[in-house]
Amino acid sequence: MNTGNNPLQALSEAMSAAAARAGAWTVLVDARRRMPASGIALAADQVLTAEHVLEKNSAITVMLADGTRLQAEVAGRDPGSDLAVLRLDKPLATPAVPAAGEAQIGALVLALGRPHAEGIQASLGVVSARGGPLRTGRGGLLESYLRTDAIPYPGFSGGPLVNAAGEVVGLNTSGLARGASLVIPSSLAWRLAEALFKHGQVRRGFLGVRTQPVALPAVQQSILGREQAAGLLVVGLESGGPAEQSGLLVGDILVALDAQAVTDADELLTQLAGERVGETLILEVLRGGEPQELQVTIGARP
Amino acid sequence: MEKSGLPVKAYNQALDELVRRVERSLVVVYNGRIWAGAGVIWRGDGLIVTNHHVVGRGPVRITLPDSRQLPAQVIARRPELDLALLEIKGEDLPPAEIADGRAIQVGQVVFAFGHPWGQRNVVTAGIVSGLGVARSRHGADVPVIRSDVRLAPGNSGGPLVNASGGVIGINTMIVGGDLGIAIPSHIVDDMVTRVRGPRLLVVGVLV
Repeated sequence: MNTGNNPLQALSEAMSAAAARAGAWTVLVDARRRMPASGIALAADQVLTAEHVLEKNSAITVMLADGTRLQAEVAGRDPGSDLAVLRLDKPLATPAVPAAGEAQIGALVLALGRPHAEGIQASLGVVSARGGPLRTGRGGLLESYLRTDAIPYPGFSGGPLVNAAGEVVGLNTSGLARGASLVIPSSLAWRLAEALFKHGQVRRGFLGVRTQPVALPAVQQSILGREQAAGLLVVGLESGGPAEQSGLLVGDILVALDAQAVTDADELLTQLAGERVGETLILEVLRGGEPQELQVTIGARP
Repeated sequence: MEKSGLPVKAYNQALDELVRRVERSLVVVYNGRIWAGAGVIWRGDGLIVTNHHVVGRGPVRITLPDSRQLPAQVIARRPELDLALLEIKGEDLPPAEIADGRAIQVGQVVFAFGHPWGQRNVVTAGIVSGLGVARSRHGADVPVIRSDVRLAPGNSGGPLVNASGGVIGINTMIVGGDLGIAIPSHIVDDMVTRVRGPRLLVVGVLV
């Protein structure tokens, strides 16, 4: 067949080639009753999957693209981001290639899954939206996420969303937004996976402070020397927590952490989401109308 | 569009050409019920393929792409494959191009043709989502093509075609939420061959 001048056929072949390429690192993860889920091979002995599909901790089976079945154990799991890393008993998996750069809205993508031994499954769509940060419960905060209109079939959670080259754009999961399908971007997923593999969990920074956003009048903005329309009024302190130990008081207005302005609780959570546990940072506050600086050592969320 | 360097124009032309070609062999199948089904002219001698469940017990009528209405005879049924073969008598019946239902890859672009909810000649696009085996109501294991193409009542019996317009399967039903199911063309062709004998190959040099 002559495919040289038929762009439809060229597109078709490119998409099936992408599915075949990414199918090599899309694995089956059997860790719950009734419905296996999918996973992405990160390294020869590591698989990234969705945390909510791991209903058991032992006797987890992973099936590779060639049908090889391996035993796996949980190396780390984080309900806050719905990610988990499995360690395989043999280093036989083909590692995935993450896409470089941010996913563009409208880009053609395939959602892939391997929910049963019959073979790879795929659906076609585009990157529909980018969003974030998203509070996910249990202190979790997803810095960014993607949405797609590619249909998530049963068992697709933990599997990849791939671009037209077969590179991983993100991980599909229905476990974060009340069953709605969401995509965790690969840059974020890979970073969290590294922490999970190292520490067994994602350590999220913790201040032990309850806050309420308040508007900052122009006078107070000029006292601070910054154009910042809002700050966070401290309304509660966890006893013995890092914030209390730093000397922060109820009634202080938090305006910045580590020189970054904080105007709502999500910005504060985002600042604490990275690997910040143990770092000593400067907390800028307004106390009685006067600016003050406090030193706080970031704790780990209990 | 030209600035982007993408062959958008050529893409649309190819799409347009594909749709015209497939529609020449797409028929409407009436069985006296509200919803009509779809069918494919499989051979130029008047053999039409559709779904078993589209064909009822009463008389069957066909509407051709050129609006001719003809009575059809049911000449074979395979309920376990949800397939039925019809025969019409008429001139100028362009058969569909049949592609090999075995040479299918997950991810390849496909188009479904049919008459969803009674709307004539609707084309929907998608990809092959998976290949597998489905257990039919009659207990037989049937190889199937799964696709994410949107299907509705009225798509039954219509063709699933590849990017060059070749029929790779017959759409039969919708299962598991959004997954469409098609019976691969080689299974259909086996049934046709059993009833009608092998397709005659035109070989040799035309002089």
